[in-house]
Amino acid sequence: MLDTEATLEIQELVAEFKPGNADLLPALHKVQHRYGYVPKEAMGVVAKQLRLGEAHVYGAVTFYSEFRQIPPPKTRVDWCSGPACRLKGGEHVRRALEATLEIGMEENTEGDKLGLHLAQCNGTCDFAPQIWVDGKVVGPLTAAETIRLARELKDGAG
Amino acid sequence: MLRGFEELRSQADGVWQATQSRTVIRVPIATCSIAAGARETLEALREGVKERGFDVGVQAVGERGLCWLEPLIEVVKPDGSAILYENVTADKVEKLLDEAIDGVCADLAFAVAEGPDVEGVQRLDDFDLWALQDRRLLARCGIIDPENADHYIAHGGYSGLVNALELSQEEVIKTVEDSTLRGRSGSAFPTGTKWEFLRSKEREPKYLICNADEGDPGAFVNRILMECDPQSVIEGMAIAAHATGASYAFIYLREEYPLAIERMEKAVEQARERGLLGEDILGSGLSFDMKVWVGAGSYVCGEESGLLASMDDARGMPRIRPPFPADAGVFRQPTNVNNVESYADVTLIMQKGLEFYNSVGIEGNRSTKIFSLSGHIQRVCVVEVAFGYPLRDLYHAVDPATYQERRKLKALQAGAALAGILPTHLALKLPLDPDAFKEHGVLMGGGGLVFIDDTACIVDMNVMFSWFLEDESCGRCTTCHGGTQRMVEIFRRIGSGGGRSNDYDKMQMLGKALQYSNCIHGSASPTIMLKSAEFFREEIDEHIIERRCRAQVCRDMIRYEITGDSDKLLEAAAICPTEAVVQTDEKWSIDQARCIRCNACKDVAPDDVRIVDALTDVLPLAVAEARAAG
Ligand SMILES: Cc1cc2nc3c(=O)[nH]c(=O)nc-3n(C[C@H](O)[C@H](O)[C@H](O)COP(=O)(O)O)c2cc1C
Ligand code: FES
Repeated sequence: MLDTEATLEIQELVAEFKPGNADLLPALHKVQHRYGYVPKEAMGVVAKQLRLGEAHVYGAVTFYSEFRQIPPPKTRVDWCSGPACRLKGGEHVRRALEATLEIGMEENTEGDKLGLHLAQCNGTCDFAPQIWVDGKVVGPLTAAETIRLARELKDGAG
Repeated sequence: MLRGFEELRSQADGVWQATQSRTVIRVPIATCSIAAGARETLEALREGVKERGFDVGVQAVGERGLCWLEPLIEVVKPDGSAILYENVTADKVEKLLDEAIDGVCADLAFAVAEGPDVEGVQRLDDFDLWALQDRRLLARCGIIDPENADHYIAHGGYSGLVNALELSQEEVIKTVEDSTLRGRSGSAFPTGTKWEFLRSKEREPKYLICNADEGDPGAFVNRILMECDPQSVIEGMAIAAHATGASYAFIYLREEYPLAIERMEKAVEQARERGLLGEDILGSGLSFDMKVWVGAGSYVCGEESGLLASMDDARGMPRIRPPFPADAGVFRQPTNVNNVESYADVTLIMQKGLEFYNSVGIEGNRSTKIFSLSGHIQRVCVVEVAFGYPLRDLYHAVDPATYQERRKLKALQAGAALAGILPTHLALKLPLDPDAFKEHGVLMGGGGLVFIDDTACIVDMNVMFSWFLEDESCGRCTTCHGGTQRMVEIFRRIGSGGGRSNDYDKMQMLGKALQYSNCIHGSASPTIMLKSAEFFREEIDEHIIERRCRAQVCRDMIRYEITGDSDKLLEAAAICPTEAVVQTDEKWSIDQARCIRCNACKDVAPDDVRIVDALTDVLPLAVAEARAAG
């Protein structure tokens, strides 16, 4: 593989990590922190740095639900899949979101403006059912409120 | 006394006293309060105090666990009297500053925490959900600044480590054994025994892991500890290091807890700065350090062998045991894995002594357990109660109105996805004691308690949990990933009207097969399915035989219909994301082919829309099955 500018940058980014030092996830986190996702080229660089096979690194990236392989959306909408949210109408919220934004979970709208992510309960169940817009908890939400919010986000995004 | 600890403590006392010499407003900054707007409140308070030129401190602290009252602000006067104010969002800050600094702001007051009685305001100690608690592990939450190690030290912090360092390894382990402490993750494995496994290993270096993956949906016990009193976890790990000879530790923390990550990292750094981590701690000869290691969203990585695999530069697939972590853990070296709360318990034991520790609780489970309560209750909260506390009393305190109205609580789910589910009539009879739960074939688990009322559908709950289990199955053994997949299929089918009379046999067969999974994720996964079939048979039967969902939750079993003709339907038509609310010749109806049953139309036009059973008039099950058989 030829070293392009991008791979050189990633090499520098992960230069501190060592083989056999519990460094794979820390390295991937660092890449994702920098780029918002784990680009394909990065897997090769990380693999080389940690002396692992590229398929091995790819396997890890796909195993963990918090690693993304597509660029992050400008606005990220996390939908809580937890029990308290489900009990209080979280499924309505999900259907409303998917129908309004016309995407499914782990997908982005045109031009990566908005993206949906299936999230796990973080213990703010007092606001169930809820979503997090760029990390900020919004709830409790009815389906109607969700649709209004999603439409606003859709119109405003960009 | 160990070298330098006296100085540390007097310096810490000085730091703490300085904050108390004038009126101080404590603002909880933790995940729940932030969601309720506490950051904005903090900001507004700081500005307001500055503008008014008040000589008042504004202090960020941890939260007390009373989530529904957040932001729950405390105003502490120099004479020690303190009043708590509820739901103080930024817009109420002016009012609070007008009234609460020189007197009492009666409109916002929740309770008197310290000092003389105030007319018309209850005392915190009399408030039922507070009075029933035994706050030991949570004692400092909401009082101290979790980002200031001195606050912790000024409140008895690290005296437990000092006490432990004066004992031999064997003596510390004996003390932990005598406390009967059992793993708080839900494992219930005796902590002292586990430590002895590690201590007896010759091979070095030895490692500790703090399992802070807290993946159980609905559990946020560890999060509160890490966000609000992080040093207590670090102190417990240092004690464990002394007792077992471990020299390094990893805190395996889930990525979904960004604030806990930040606070734990800061706490580790501050402990190191004070010589409480690092080389030759307090001149005792103990050298021990640690770092936070961030997970990436995988439930099975909470299982200790999955966790180890994940740290071993790989996918977090649980391994077949033995070898156990004490033989081959991180880097294949001897390792001990404990839960966050288990380490915090050790801190308590060593700070306060066995007599104190053992003074509450029940035989075999002394002291307390932290629980997070959510679901169909009014007061979502985190509480700490003595083992053996009656669940019924706790329920009444978190849902007072429901109790009065007798709205129907249906089930309790303790310990999340793997632990099972119990109907109310059994659950509310139980004490909070893991052994009592076990008698019913379910687990009490790590502290998550989800209350479920009759607006929920048991088939839907199973669809949700079995889907979670399938999604989180690591995929190594077909038994687990195939088995959990079958669970999802069966419940989805039942929920969409395709239930068959032999489905219960299938569940039993699956339950047996799953026992042969590689790890507990697989073998425990059918618990909720089997318990549902045992305790909620009538409701599942309704789905299978009558094709009816009594809670009107299963989407394929219901249909939305227009019953009215008010103007609100215009709004309903506008809100519908699939344009399914249509008007032809003045008459409103719902285009069933388009409807996704999101309920939005009913949200805006509740009197004009109703939900009806959609499948009850299709062929009865017996006829359908006979026909299919030819
Ligand atoms: C599927 C699965 C998930 C688990 N998740 C966690 C977890 O998130 N946190 C935790 O402390 N223990 C979890 N455990 C239990 C751990 O394997 C281990 O027993 C525990 O960390 C030991 O700590 P303790 O002895 O202090 O309880 C899980 C177990 C299984 C089977
Ligand atoms: S279930 Fe959604 S935040 Fe807890």
